[in-house]
Amino acid sequence: MASVDADAAGSNGTMVNSAANPPAPSPDRYLVIDTVRKEFDGFVAVDDVSLTIRKGEIFALLGASGCGKSTLLRCLAGFETPTAGRIELEGQSLIGLPPYERRINMMFQSYALFPHMTVEQNIAFGLKQDGMAKAAMRARVDEMLSLVQMNRFAKRKPHQLSGGQQQRVALARSLAKSPKMLLLDEPMGALDKKLRSQMQLELVNIIEKLGVTCVMVTHDQEEAMTMAHRIAIMEQGRIRQCAKPDEIYEQPNCRYTAGFIGSVNLFEGRIDKDEKDFVTIRTSAFPDPIYVAHGVTGFEGMEVAMALRPEKLRISKHEPDLKHNKAHGSIEDIAYFGSHSVYHVRLDGGCKVMCNFVNMKRWDSESFTWNDPVWVSWGDLEGVVLSS
Amino acid sequence: MSANWQSLRSRLPGSRWAVISVPYLWLLLFFAIPFLIALKISFAKFEMAMPPYSSLLNWEDGFLVLKLRLENYLYLVNDSLYVNAYLSSLKIAVIATGLCLLIGYPMAYVISRMEPATRNIALMLVVLPSWTSFLIRIYAWIGILKQNGLLNNFLLSIGVIDAPLKILYTPAAVYIGIVYAYLPFMVLPLYSNLVKLDRRLLEAAYDLGARPWRAFLAITLPLSKAGIIAGSMLVLIPVVGEFVIPEMLGGPDTLMIGRVLWQEFFNNRDWPVASAVAIVMLIILIVPILIFHKSQAKELEGRLA
Repeated sequence: MASVDADAAGSNGTMVNSAANPPAPSPDRYLVIDTVRKEFDGFVAVDDVSLTIRKGEIFALLGASGCGKSTLLRCLAGFETPTAGRIELEGQSLIGLPPYERRINMMFQSYALFPHMTVEQNIAFGLKQDGMAKAAMRARVDEMLSLVQMNRFAKRKPHQLSGGQQQRVALARSLAKSPKMLLLDEPMGALDKKLRSQMQLELVNIIEKLGVTCVMVTHDQEEAMTMAHRIAIMEQGRIRQCAKPDEIYEQPNCRYTAGFIGSVNLFEGRIDKDEKDFVTIRTSAFPDPIYVAHGVTGFEGMEVAMALRPEKLRISKHEPDLKHNKAHGSIEDIAYFGSHSVYHVRLDGGCKVMCNFVNMKRWDSESFTWNDPVWVSWGDLEGVVLSS
Repeated sequence: MSANWQSLRSRLPGSRWAVISVPYLWLLLFFAIPFLIALKISFAKFEMAMPPYSSLLNWEDGFLVLKLRLENYLYLVNDSLYVNAYLSSLKIAVIATGLCLLIGYPMAYVISRMEPATRNIALMLVVLPSWTSFLIRIYAWIGILKQNGLLNNFLLSIGVIDAPLKILYTPAAVYIGIVYAYLPFMVLPLYSNLVKLDRRLLEAAYDLGARPWRAFLAITLPLSKAGIIAGSMLVLIPVVGEFVIPEMLGGPDTLMIGRVLWQEFFNNRDWPVASAVAIVMLIILIVPILIFHKSQAKELEGRLA
């Protein structure tokens, strides 16, 4: 891509001509973040991050606070300049462009609506900066108000709106200019839980309807899993894993992501037998080695961790009819969630495991109680072997 | 802790009232009573006596007579000196307020954008001159502005001018003195307003395509309206009645109501006319005072919302 660009500029000599036949960027490489690094006084906030984002994709940067996700988003918006690295949108570099010259709009955390302007003035603000004609602006504002179903509140000031309404206005304002990319900074951060799940789906519907490419930042894994097509997990300025939500959940690539997303039972151990179609892992948690019905890239004696999600574990009163992957223990703690219960089982070996039990029938939860002797077991393919 | 406080409060039922009453007592002693005395004197007649005015209540033929003379007020309206003095004072105050705003806004803006440590030093520097006597600071300006003063000598030595400028005892000197003396009253309320401005609002404006100057005009300036009003009123109101600065730095032609008041009171010893001048000035100033209070109340309301 870069060489095509250089040739065009070289043979024609002027910028105007090279713009006349622009390189057609592939929709798969709509936004390219290449080894972007951001340091603040020696502190590395973003550490050589590379990502490619497809056109029309909803992409989530997920991580605990201080992991560098917001800094990366601010680099995209133009509020921070990366110390090193490239950011390109549709093949055009964004480095050095101030925020007011980027066709990227952001929905701010807690919205940053202009308090002295009405809802429609807020939405019109961006259009006004482009010098749009009055009539066209009027029409566009009405269109955006209908999109977020806020027509009735056009004349209100932000402080006269509820949190959910403010969010709708913020969304309309950031979409009014038809940006090439929409940035969402903790979009649901200021909403209560019930409203949150409703707005998540609504937001996704609006974004997908308009087909706008979207990068969001969140610390809420549920939000990322619900809204995003792909998720990048960040930790200490680096991307630990970047994949679809189900891949991140079912196939975490390291102990950090396995522990960060959902809850997990992690058992440290060593590879005992390394065969082509199965491995066994010896851990201190179980008397027998764990049996995994597929090969792994590793060697005998290698230190690995076994990750087992609580819902993959079965809990039963009687010894299950299985050759491998079962252990005996007793129930130590019970967390009752209504739809399911989480039993914390102390194994005879001393290790504690979490085990989900779906309360499919009414009063199912009453079949187990504290200190009951139970068996936990799992399928040969349900665990994930982690080497890092 | 709070239990102690509760029991203390129940034992001292009047403590709440005592706290509230202090400012009211202050206002009564130093505002209401002097005002009523001045009001009383303004209705009296000048007399060569001690005190130099007639009493309002007299015993005449078995009647207790209250005579409210309006002649002092009529005198103010009919003599163009007073009308001109009022207008000139207002003009000087408005222009000086404008100058303070032009200089003070950028100062307050820059200070509000500083790092907290440097910010405190800058605020200190704004307030620091007030630690010296007002009179001495204004007196010092004579030394700076006079024919062979610091300013003229400096300008002559670097060759900007050939002959010394006449600044002292001109309106320019009065403006310099007023702007210098009242600038902190403009900077501080503006600063406290601007420092509260949510930076993300500016980022949102940039993000939506506003260049920095446009963002300033559309976001920062309207949101600092309350600060502008507060600062302007804090300068305008006292400057209208300013006496020391026009007296020391202004020429004989600098007409300000504070000076007229002084002359009436100390030179002519005409207390009734002087009181009438003061009362009329207060009435004129009620308008900006009301504007000031309204904006303060509005800002408080906004902060609660």
